[in-house]
Amino acid sequence: MKQSAIRTLVVFSALFCFFVAGFSLAEAKSAGKIVIGHPACLSGKYAKAGEQAIGGIKACIDWVNNVYGGIKVAGKKIPLKYKYYDCESKKEAVTSLIGRLVTVDKVNVVFSAYSSGLTLRGAPVTESHQMLYMDHGGANNKIFRQGFRYIVQTIGPATSYHQGTLNMIHKIDPKAKKVALAYEDSEFAKMVMHGAEKYAKKLGFNVVFERTYPKGVTDLTPLLSALKASKPDFILGGGHFEDGQLFNRQLADLDIDTKALSLIAAATLPAFYKALTSMAEGVMGPSHWEYGVKYSAGEAKKVGLNWIGPNQDEFVALFKKALGKNIIPDYHAAEAGAQVLAYVLAVEKANSLDSDKVRAALGDLEFMSFYGGWDVDDTGLQVGHSMVDVQWQGGKRVIVWPEEAQTGKPCYPMPTFAEKAKGKIAVP
Amino acid sequence: MKKEITKYYPLIPVFTAYLFLFLVGKNISGMWQLVAMLLFYCAMGQAFNIFLGMTGYVDFGYVAFMGVGTYGMALAITNLAHIEGLGIGIIIIGFILALLMSTLLSMAVGAVALRLRGAYFAIATIGVNEGFRFLIEGARIWNGSEGLIFTAQLNQILGREAASSLMTYWADIMVLFIAALAAFVTLFYMRSKIGYALTALREDEDAAKVMGINVTKYKITAFITSACFAGLVGATSWALKTPYVFPPEVFEIHYTIEAIIIVLLGGAGTLLGPVVGGLIYGISKYYLSIFMPGFQLLIFAPIIIIIIVLFPEGVVGMLKSRTKGSVLARFII
Repeated sequence: MKQSAIRTLVVFSALFCFFVAGFSLAEAKSAGKIVIGHPACLSGKYAKAGEQAIGGIKACIDWVNNVYGGIKVAGKKIPLKYKYYDCESKKEAVTSLIGRLVTVDKVNVVFSAYSSGLTLRGAPVTESHQMLYMDHGGANNKIFRQGFRYIVQTIGPATSYHQGTLNMIHKIDPKAKKVALAYEDSEFAKMVMHGAEKYAKKLGFNVVFERTYPKGVTDLTPLLSALKASKPDFILGGGHFEDGQLFNRQLADLDIDTKALSLIAAATLPAFYKALTSMAEGVMGPSHWEYGVKYSAGEAKKVGLNWIGPNQDEFVALFKKALGKNIIPDYHAAEAGAQVLAYVLAVEKANSLDSDKVRAALGDLEFMSFYGGWDVDDTGLQVGHSMVDVQWQGGKRVIVWPEEAQTGKPCYPMPTFAEKAKGKIAVP
Repeated sequence: MKKEITKYYPLIPVFTAYLFLFLVGKNISGMWQLVAMLLFYCAMGQAFNIFLGMTGYVDFGYVAFMGVGTYGMALAITNLAHIEGLGIGIIIIGFILALLMSTLLSMAVGAVALRLRGAYFAIATIGVNEGFRFLIEGARIWNGSEGLIFTAQLNQILGREAASSLMTYWADIMVLFIAALAAFVTLFYMRSKIGYALTALREDEDAAKVMGINVTKYKITAFITSACFAGLVGATSWALKTPYVFPPEVFEIHYTIEAIIIVLLGGAGTLLGPVVGGLIYGISKYYLSIFMPGFQLLIFAPIIIIIIVLFPEGVVGMLKSRTKGSVLARFII
């Protein structure tokens, strides 16, 4: 009995030591460095977006430290350091890791985990520590109506996703007035489409059809038949990849031709064209950023904004180096990287690392980088970044809007499904 | 009298563990959020153990009770925030609503599923969380798929500072109390007629029936009790600590799996098991995610397998058999 009691004691002592020793192993504040803390999603359901974000952040930190020479504060150039842990895309881990980053690692700023939910989960903790909290993955506008004082967004709000598409059609076809909205019944798609509906009405469009479909839908025929009857000029729809693909395929099956079709989340993915081939010709989709955008120091000068950061090709090279993989970054990487640049400019503007001062400086900041424009309103909501609209033309993704980012002209109206079946491709 | 007191001795290690966690969180800088996570896992395990541990039935729809509890609190806050003078009373109403909703759901599920046994019961409960999520999204009740976000309402009810400390501190203290209360109820059941009846049905349900035990009554009692605690954990950890509810996040089956792992790691049907399981699970995951970010699950899976193989009855199950007949046996059950 004595032996087993001793063994039990040893096991619990070991557990206790592990528990507390983990803390003593924590690093003291990295002297002479400005530290970005990040509960990253390296595993779990947001792992893909999380890996991209880490690559984007590392790439821009590399640029800041080795090209820019560090952040200038009080006359000194200070390098940036990146401290991240894996939150497994889980809310319980997000708060515990933010707690550690703020109090043990003594980071200077916390970057949120991916998604609106995880961003919201971390916000009360950073607020209680009066720590600047930068959001590159939570697009829900409601985050910024909760009264948080230290949160600032880089990703564009969900309500602005289709503004570019609507602006484009408004400009190139003033006669097109009838828009149909058909989208997935999900928090994200609803937020996107509420914004689209509001903006469409503001531009003078008539919403002639609006309906949602459930997640995991396998047949959209009844909905699309009703949509056909409303005779829209163009359609905004989608939600995720699977339903976006089904949407496009069944539009073709039912011969529903419109001048334009824009699908969120699905249409910008290479797999979309691979699955639909010619049926995807001319289909558009909004994206926060796409490889190929034409944002540059020259464009920034034209619109009267300051430019900072690597150009697009430099960013791509740094991203590949950071991840050690030969992959092209997507918008998750670009927005996370741009957030680093925003922080750099704000610290320099505030000439301080104090969260209150840097938050105030971020409020006044306006600039352009490879990611596009950056500007936030009083609540921290991103208002300066425009989405880009991508269109499939001849099997290639072409950035057609906004004009300062475009790599090609839009094909409008897009070919009909009958024409596409005969091999016609979308050409402007 | 002494016998009355000694029967509560097993609570000493449980409460000591919770007190230890509280003191560590309170006194070591930066530990509070980790402690909050560990308390969540312990409370979830303790609540689940009342049903799984005591009956041997595996309920894969368990997270649904946490989900409806979360909605109970969220609905109280979002719907009553505009009523002046209710103040903290809204949170009390939220808890009542959470209890009511989890009780009603558990009665509805129990009435159907508890007629089944073993694998059939497990399969029948798999669909509960998904079904409930689709009901909320499809029928567009409680704001449907858009969910509810209510930090602003909490600020309005309590004031910014008080709301902030509720979300980052007091909600965790409430979880601590729920975990402690769940432990007390577990022990109360273990030491009463209910516990003996549940032990009998866990070992052999048919034999228990033949002996004249109303197995349905006791199964439902354990099921509803477990569901009520799950509802309370959801109302605190997922509504007060995280003032938003998105249906896919609160009806995620992943949490049921975690609860099963915690209970099995610690020892199903033991009082101390969920605490030990919750601590092993939470601490390992936390430190692995810090020291080996991205690879922790690869390492964590074999650790779980090793523990289960070494201690098939869980860590506390092993301790129980090792300390049988000794003075420690009074404390470890």
